[in-house]
Amino acid sequence: MNARRIAAMLGKESREILRDPITLGVALAMPLIMLLLFGYAISLDVREAPLGVLDLDRSPLSRQLVRQFTDTEYFALAETYTDLGGVEEALRRGSVKLALVIPRGLARERQRREAPQMQILLDGTYSATANLLGGYARAIVAAADPAPPAIEVRTRVWYNPSLRSINDVVPGLFGVILMAFPPLLTALAIVREKESGSIQQVFVSPLSGPEFLIGKLLPYGLIAFLQIAMVMAVGFLWFQVPMAGSLSLLLAAGGVYVLCTVGLGLLVSTLTGSQLIAMLLALIITLMPSFLFSGFLFPIFTMPYALQLYTAIFPARYFIDLSRGVVLKGAALGDLWLNLLLLIAYTAAVFALAVWRFRKKVA
Amino acid sequence: MDSALSQAEPPVVASALARRFGKVAALAGIDLSVATGERLGLVGPDGAGKSTLLQSLAALLDPSAGRCRVLGFDTVREAAQIQARIGYMAQGFTLYERLSVDENLAFSAGVRGVTGDTYRERRAALLAMAGLMPFTERRERELSGGMRKKLALCTNLIHRPPLLLLDEPGLGVDPLSRRELWQMLDDLRAQDVTVVLATSYMDEAERCDRVAFLDRGRLLALDTPAALRARAAGTTFAVTRAADAPPLPAALPGVRSIKHLPDRLRVQLDSGRNGAEAQRLLAPLGTVQAVEADLEDVFTLLAPPGEDAATAARPAHPIAAGPGGGGISTQELTRRYGAFSAVDAVSLDIPPGEIFGLLGANGAGKTTLIKLLCGLERPSAGSARVAGIAVDGARGALHRAVGYMSQRFSLYPDLSVAENLRFFASAQGLAGRRARAAIAAAAAESGLDAGDPRMAGALSGALRQRLALACAVLHRPRVLFLDEPTSGVDPLSRHRFWALIRNLAAAGMTVVVTTHYLEEAAFCQRLGLMQRGRLIASGTLAALRTQAELAADAGVEAIFLAHLGRAA
Repeated sequence: MNARRIAAMLGKESREILRDPITLGVALAMPLIMLLLFGYAISLDVREAPLGVLDLDRSPLSRQLVRQFTDTEYFALAETYTDLGGVEEALRRGSVKLALVIPRGLARERQRREAPQMQILLDGTYSATANLLGGYARAIVAAADPAPPAIEVRTRVWYNPSLRSINDVVPGLFGVILMAFPPLLTALAIVREKESGSIQQVFVSPLSGPEFLIGKLLPYGLIAFLQIAMVMAVGFLWFQVPMAGSLSLLLAAGGVYVLCTVGLGLLVSTLTGSQLIAMLLALIITLMPSFLFSGFLFPIFTMPYALQLYTAIFPARYFIDLSRGVVLKGAALGDLWLNLLLLIAYTAAVFALAVWRFRKKVA
Repeated sequence: MDSALSQAEPPVVASALARRFGKVAALAGIDLSVATGERLGLVGPDGAGKSTLLQSLAALLDPSAGRCRVLGFDTVREAAQIQARIGYMAQGFTLYERLSVDENLAFSAGVRGVTGDTYRERRAALLAMAGLMPFTERRERELSGGMRKKLALCTNLIHRPPLLLLDEPGLGVDPLSRRELWQMLDDLRAQDVTVVLATSYMDEAERCDRVAFLDRGRLLALDTPAALRARAAGTTFAVTRAADAPPLPAALPGVRSIKHLPDRLRVQLDSGRNGAEAQRLLAPLGTVQAVEADLEDVFTLLAPPGEDAATAARPAHPIAAGPGGGGISTQELTRRYGAFSAVDAVSLDIPPGEIFGLLGANGAGKTTLIKLLCGLERPSAGSARVAGIAVDGARGALHRAVGYMSQRFSLYPDLSVAENLRFFASAQGLAGRRARAAIAAAAAESGLDAGDPRMAGALSGALRQRLALACAVLHRPRVLFLDEPTSGVDPLSRHRFWALIRNLAAAGMTVVVTTHYLEEAAFCQRLGLMQRGRLIASGTLAALRTQAELAADAGVEAIFLAHLGRAA
């Protein structure tokens, strides 16, 4: 290792990056665009779901029940019907997601302290929403009935009491965005030199493989770190995601994770000499699994066991766990040391592999 | 330890060196030793193994068998020692195009630990030698091809390497810049720098101390240029044909190759045939005169007839003359980009069926002129008619009348020969029986097998070039433009290519061709010399020679330089 040679490499690399403002601009803007898209588009919350009502009872009690639904932010009255056929048609058309069917005699039976029955029909074509709406509806109906239950259940949601999904999407996005761009940028930066042949000039010089890789890694690692800082700033300041834990722990883990993602880019660049293939490889081994197998959108514990093991190959899950833990739960190093250790080990392994694969030979 | 090189050990020693790529033997059994201060030229057809040999010496490739010692180090075990010391210029342009001249040089110095006053001194000396001093702030990609190559050479000289490996340094470089590049190499002789270079220019090979002929990975000959020329001595003859001479027979026994110059034939016989026998063989063709052999003849003699020679091209079908004739005529044709005139008031007339050569430095405007004449660029001023069609008028008619083969043959490397031909036929609007007939004709004229299942990317450069030609003439254009069609192709294949061009011209096709190989100028009926967008001279080679007041034996390079010098 020779500091002078690394400095020459760093200078050359940073100049090349700065002379290509379009690529640099895209590299810095894309994570923000992605954050805004996801921040506004991915919402698992349900607001103002269209509600259909078939009220055959027409009593004060039935009207009060409907009002209790429409008074919440979860439901908005869309349609009322006069017969069951109307309900069926509305659900089939998709104009309502949930329909209340209140039979004749509900109020009378209620007064006689019999157990009256009513029906809630749900559109189950999107199961997550249907589950959520069903839960809300049961809770509203139960609240309307003042009879004391045998055991009182008090449910409190911890860590994200308002259940805003943006609060868990943003810390997850940190992990996904850093998997999406830094590996791609780094891999292309090296493979471009292979394609143009300039790497041959580097090979025939005292610059060693590790020196070359460090020269590539630091500038792109810095860009990646800027990306994570920007995404965090927008997440905390614009989306008002509360920060329960220590920012410095998050940044430190982010630093390790950045090295890991850039290292994956280096590794990809040692596998191919074509920019197109490098791009596809980066997408397949970094971006796709970070969406699907990181727990970002689909919880890992619900996956089949074999797939759960498979998710362990991809580093995004360790970081997303850690990032959500710090941001939402206020977890400290003592709780998350295993994740951090795994990330560090992973990064070290990726680098060892990249350095081993990177040889100063053309074939 | 600066070098393990002992006085006794030569800087380059290869013994039984072999390298395979899969099933292909790129190098086989190479034994070679280069002395300190020697300049060795590597020549050979496409795929001969020149680049592989250079990369093996640069420790960029490990041998499959045998070994290489460079500067006293083993290329496998001590690669780092070698790579830290030598200079290596890869083929093509391999600097950082977004960095300036100075930054490229500083990077090269930085990774080699050349700093401080030493760097400043050497930088000044190298930039002055390369004539790049006025351009130190310019980005590499804004330099001409010649300047880029000179800069690449500078970046490889900054650490004063005792050994320089150069892969086709003159490729894509105009004759003037190439001369300057060689001036730099000649200056190195005083410093005892050993140079090994690959080249497809025979005049460059001629300037080497020894020349190694490679073919399909084997070393066929290794000797001084003079000794090599002696091998072909007595086999070459000029034959001047009478106007009413009968057409040449398809095959002449004992004849190795025939070059068709505008005024005579240059015939090479198989070795062993000479004197009286030559007279007997060639007398029926015309007046025979013995001429001196050059390195190109040695090349023809040494290269075993390959796949190319087997496929003799068929003469072309006559080209139907269009309503407006077939030639080109331009008046004050100009193309400006902002304040810069890429083509500046060019007036010229080319009659149908003529082969017209455009010569000039990189950036002189040759490619822009061709693009204007093909209708790919709009003229800023002036007018031109190609095959009777105005270039700023109906593009459709113009595109049907012209064929264009660009510098980088625009073929699809992942399509087979047949698929490329079919695609370009359909792009020209040919379908069904007409497409099949056009493909068969173009393939026959180019000496190709129209059903060849090989991918275009897997073909040799020479075959790829002929496929590109076939694709360009599928629609039987009346005017054909060839932009550096023979760049990087070995002399033998270049000849065969010129035979195809001559056939097409004989059939009535007007051909405009640019080239950096000055010896190819001799194949053109007339030449145009371009400099900074202007056509500074045009005419036959003899006329240009007279205009420049040169002796009757002055070569193309002398004529070229004399005209450029006069205009400057």
